[in-house]
Amino acid sequence: MKNLKKTILGLSVSALMLGATVAEADIKIGLAGPATGPVAQYGDMQKIGVMAAIEQINKAGGVNGEMLEGVIYDDACDPKQAVAVANKIVNDGVQHVVGHLCSSSTEPASDIYEEEGVLMITAASTSPTITEKGYQMIFRTIGLDSLQGPFAAQYVIDKIKPKNMAIIHDKQQYGEGLATSVKNEVEKAGIKPVMFEGVTAGDKDFSALIAKLKKNNVDFVYYGGYHPELGLILRQSKEKGFDAKFMGPEGVGNPDISKIAGEASEGLLVTLPQSFDQDPANQALVKAISDKGEDPTGPFVFPAYSAIQVMTDAMKATGSTDTQELADYIRSNTFKTTTGDLDFDDKGDLTEFSFVVYNWHADGSKTAAK
Amino acid sequence: MTETTLYVIQQLINGLTIGSTYALIAIGYTMVYGIIGMINFAHGEIYMIGTYVTFIVIAGLMGMGMVSLPLILVVALLLAVIIASTYGWTVERVAYRPLRGSNRLIPLISAIGMSIFLQNYVVLSQGSRDVALPPQISGGWTFGDPSLFEVSFSYMQLIIWVATFVAMGGLTLFISRSRMGRACRACSEDLGMTNLLGIDTNKIIALTFVIGAALAAVAGLLLGLYYGVVNPFVGFIAGLKAFTAAVLGGIGSIPGAMLGGLILGVTEAMTSAFFPSEYKDVVSFSLLVLILLFRPSGLLGKPEVEKV
Repeated sequence: MKNLKKTILGLSVSALMLGATVAEADIKIGLAGPATGPVAQYGDMQKIGVMAAIEQINKAGGVNGEMLEGVIYDDACDPKQAVAVANKIVNDGVQHVVGHLCSSSTEPASDIYEEEGVLMITAASTSPTITEKGYQMIFRTIGLDSLQGPFAAQYVIDKIKPKNMAIIHDKQQYGEGLATSVKNEVEKAGIKPVMFEGVTAGDKDFSALIAKLKKNNVDFVYYGGYHPELGLILRQSKEKGFDAKFMGPEGVGNPDISKIAGEASEGLLVTLPQSFDQDPANQALVKAISDKGEDPTGPFVFPAYSAIQVMTDAMKATGSTDTQELADYIRSNTFKTTTGDLDFDDKGDLTEFSFVVYNWHADGSKTAAK
Repeated sequence: MTETTLYVIQQLINGLTIGSTYALIAIGYTMVYGIIGMINFAHGEIYMIGTYVTFIVIAGLMGMGMVSLPLILVVALLLAVIIASTYGWTVERVAYRPLRGSNRLIPLISAIGMSIFLQNYVVLSQGSRDVALPPQISGGWTFGDPSLFEVSFSYMQLIIWVATFVAMGGLTLFISRSRMGRACRACSEDLGMTNLLGIDTNKIIALTFVIGAALAAVAGLLLGLYYGVVNPFVGFIAGLKAFTAAVLGGIGSIPGAMLGGLILGVTEAMTSAFFPSEYKDVVSFSLLVLILLFRPSGLLGKPEVEKV
């Protein structure tokens, strides 16, 4: 018995050392986002993009002779867990992070990365406040709510011209931020929303809200938030005979909304980053991802892919993995990526990012709206 | 009728529907509390499991080519009740019975542990995404002047009302008329004395967990069909609301759970109707605080007599 214990101990120690030696030769890239929880599918999109990028780069010989290794950290889109994850990343000695995903998680985590000198590029968090603190280490390869909100509002003003517009949000940083930005823009154009209200994320019953929308004769609803709530709002609206046009941000634009809302998701308007998987230049990559049995169409797949490209291009150009050097290089150069030529401003945001309005269909597909 | 009247009627219908389901779940809390004086925090999870079983059974039977909806629903109901009851019984067996007679806080913690365990167990076995079921029972009645406001009352809402009243009525009869029910009431009055009189109190306590779980499964089925989605986290909010309903009506009292559920549901609907819906929870919980200030044992609860 004693011998057995010793053998096991010996084995596990050597296994640990083996793990350590292998890992040291690599550049570890932390991938932080929800792997579980209600919005885990967005985490999957990010993972698909990052893992595909790492695979391609390793296949081409790695970076400066070193291989990349993706390490997944699960924050479940929960700000508390995100802080724990960020601390773990720092403790694990990981210096480069792609993530987090939900803005409310990215924001507290970014404080830790900045302080510890960890380079972070988010491919999905769109809240403007994340890059407003003058941080050096924080970048993003996706557009901001402050771009998406006005873009959605412009579409409403030009094309929809609603008589009675309502704006609903989920009281979270992402949803309420977008909803407020849309409200401000449409008000400038003289459209006064008849309702501006929050719902509680995780709620299942929206019958009272729908009755109120119906009473106010609302003909157009902008929803700031994620698909689980909007899916139910659409479904219950149809059941209760409330017939209005709905519009939402990329947080609602994934096939799960059609699973939840069924036919009621037909005709939903969604603002999404331009579909990079439709870009002819990316077809080889789209095929490579599909061949692995994964879905290349998610809105965050390619921004996540290009986040890795930005990191590794900077590593190649500077010949270093020092995060301060990388951050300086990223700020002052242009990167050729799968999401186009990326330029970063001083805050760490893209100088340019375009959105497209899509018509959502009941089978989970989408077509560009006119 | 004016537009406002119609609107109030609509919100009343919505509120009573939500309230009925709160009441069904609240029964489980109130029964366990009435008998052993403890809160079963894993109860919301049992409700969630009831919904999952319903979804799996409906999807499975339809996949097998069964077309008769009433038959599918009956099978789903039976399986949901049986499986959820088994979980309820197990929770009692694992988290409560070994700790009987210990400090009251200890089973409370073990029940919270049970709740976390069940939630994560479902996350691992079923995934954490929303699972959706297409509408099974659609349609309903509409009335009122379409130019003013059209009130809709769906078949599903009617089914929820009827099922809640039937379940409540049956349970009240069971508690007040049957031998087992009498044993339950005896346990709730004095557990130690009941034991001395030759009643197997362990069996009665297990029975209350099973009844509570069965009603949670009924609620799980009804709400699953009504909303059409479930994820492993729905038990928490549903449990919280039902617990509030139980406390509001007087924890330990079955009619109290019913009344508490309906009041909570209608308050929520009316608040969303006339104030921004962000204030829904603020108003409901302020109401709870107010009622507890003036009636610390809830609306229909019996004031606790200090035993010397």
